[in-house]
Amino acid sequence: MAAELVPLTVVLPLIVAAAMLAGAHFLPSRLPDVIATLTALAVAVACLALARHTLAHGPLAYWFGGWTPRPGVVLGIGFGVDPASAAIAAFVALLFAASFVFAWGYFEEVHAHFHILMLLFLAAMVGFILTRDLFNLFVWFEVMSVAAFALTAYRLETPSLAGALNFTVTNSLAAFMMLGGIGLLYARAGVLDFQALGSAVARRGHDPVLIGAFCLLAGALMIKAAIVPFQFWLSDAHAVAPSPLSVIFSGAMVSAGLFALAKLSVQVFFASGDAQFLIHNLFVGLGCMTAVLGGAMAWVQRHLKRMLAFSTIAHLGVMLIGVAAVSSSGLAGFLVYFVGHGLVKGTLFMLVGILLATKTSVDELELKGRGKDVWPAGLAMALAGLLLGGAPWGVLDNGAGLIRVAGDHALGVWATWSILFGTALTGAAVLRATGRIFLGLGSDPGVQADAPTQSEGEKANRPLWLMLMPCVVLLALALAPSHEAQPAIAGATALLAPALAAHSSIEPVLQHPASMPAWTSVSLALALAVFHLNRDRLPRLIVGGVDLATKPLFKGLMRLHTGLVGDYVMLIVVGLAGFSIALAFR
Amino acid sequence: MSILPWLVAAWLFGAGVYGVVTSRNFLHLIGCLTVCQSSTYILLLAIGYRWKALAPIFYDHPPGATTVDPVVQALVLTDIVVGATVTALLLAMVMRVYRESGTLDPQALAPLPSAKD
Repeated sequence: MAAELVPLTVVLPLIVAAAMLAGAHFLPSRLPDVIATLTALAVAVACLALARHTLAHGPLAYWFGGWTPRPGVVLGIGFGVDPASAAIAAFVALLFAASFVFAWGYFEEVHAHFHILMLLFLAAMVGFILTRDLFNLFVWFEVMSVAAFALTAYRLETPSLAGALNFTVTNSLAAFMMLGGIGLLYARAGVLDFQALGSAVARRGHDPVLIGAFCLLAGALMIKAAIVPFQFWLSDAHAVAPSPLSVIFSGAMVSAGLFALAKLSVQVFFASGDAQFLIHNLFVGLGCMTAVLGGAMAWVQRHLKRMLAFSTIAHLGVMLIGVAAVSSSGLAGFLVYFVGHGLVKGTLFMLVGILLATKTSVDELELKGRGKDVWPAGLAMALAGLLLGGAPWGVLDNGAGLIRVAGDHALGVWATWSILFGTALTGAAVLRATGRIFLGLGSDPGVQADAPTQSEGEKANRPLWLMLMPCVVLLALALAPSHEAQPAIAGATALLAPALAAHSSIEPVLQHPASMPAWTSVSLALALAVFHLNRDRLPRLIVGGVDLATKPLFKGLMRLHTGLVGDYVMLIVVGLAGFSIALAFR
Repeated sequence: MSILPWLVAAWLFGAGVYGVVTSRNFLHLIGCLTVCQSSTYILLLAIGYRWKALAPIFYDHPPGATTVDPVVQALVLTDIVVGATVTALLLAMVMRVYRESGTLDPQALAPLPSAKD
């Protein structure tokens, strides 16, 4: 029974999308909203059922067209459903449903085309998460990208088109790198199934072609996951995309790239010493850099969507630390953090969408004090800011705790401090924006005055309660008391199974006490926000001193983000070269 | 297998990336991106190639005959379809950009111009 559900999770949204396309011009205006929401919910329920089933009965393989593998020959293309993959797919579908409710009526003049592209996007993401075939992974990667490119350019104005072009060029390059990597891997292994690839890689041992393949695949997935130095496209694309889409981009798409990286690392390259060397040494460091850099860039922004985009980069860095620790608690932390971050960041992008619709602005300085009449949004934003800054409640904190333990073990104090600064800075940025917009505080913008901005607005055809409803639901889920980490650990262990079988040296579950008090991060975030909002009341000497110390740094960082696609591609090449330089130290 | 196709693939990829990095016109940039993509075709076909082997169509030769690897050819076909989609989408966006702003220079089209520049 359960096996029949597996293809349905991808086929259902595809069929509904095709049917909607056929009837796009006849459907009454609100019907696509209803159908799309119900479809996303159905996919979520199916994936959740699969997650529960596999948690109880072990992983499931589904071979399309009945091409089950014979001894030594794997010709078919399969989906491999384990509890972790199914749960992540269910969460992605749930986020789509929330986004459809939030976008109710927003896209009515384009008939159902928004919903069709979104359903295609959903099918691609579920396929991307569930597949166990490397080339199939590439196909879903591309379908996902094409749907995302088209949706980013939805507004068809010069800024959104320019952002979409940067997004398309960098992510297409990622696709070519991925295909090159797949080719190299196939040249050595002659198969494309994850499990068969894993044993082929284990047989080959040290092989430069396999290392090249790993570097290309990891680079491609890191472009999608916006890890330093591949992250530049993300802030441009998120800043210009319509807010219902940014919910999906930040909450699900980029973290899905990291999920694929985690899966490849532990299921295909677990036996390659070189790949593990890169993961343990370089990737943990990249995660730390990403967390700090994203946090710092989020702190200086005044364009709210851009600020949230940089905050996403910071949190992806934290997630990469969990992935690169290659332990059950690291991976479990990553899975929980994926969900927690998606819930909180989805809420925040919806709240910015509310501001765009009711106040027609996304500029924090311009919106100062103007949010008082939509105060419920302010309450939600303050709560989301506290969660983002590391307040010890709910799902996000639970994941962060697991990652901190794993990061401590893998990298020591560096990981702890990077996670602390990254999360505190992004939380502080959101809290500061809340104080300024909804309370009217903070007359002195400081370094923010120099940040790029843009005037824009979104359609105000929806009542406030309808837009707030999905935010409240997501926040309530994010606050769910989930200090029971056992299902996540079980899911991560199932994901890790091939690596665990190969070398038992991987510590299954780490039991370290937390290394710092629970309130450290969120207190730091609050302190930073309060300091910035009271700049005009504090003595000039203190404010001037802080500016003197930090302004050159922030300005330098801002200057790096040129918005030019040529520069971004250059940095991608530099990043790839960095991989090979790191390997020379082995 | 000869090393030549591998070198050609690497050269094409490098040339394409150089073009993307230095381009001052989006049409030219898309062309360069296509050059990058061609390198993956060469790489894949070279990986599946066997000397003195037949095309992988078993209609007119007996089963068991040596053929080139059909899997990579399927990969290349899929890639061509995907590449055509992306290129078409990019060209449509570039046309729209030109109509809106009258320029195709990436440097004139930075997504969020800084407030104080």
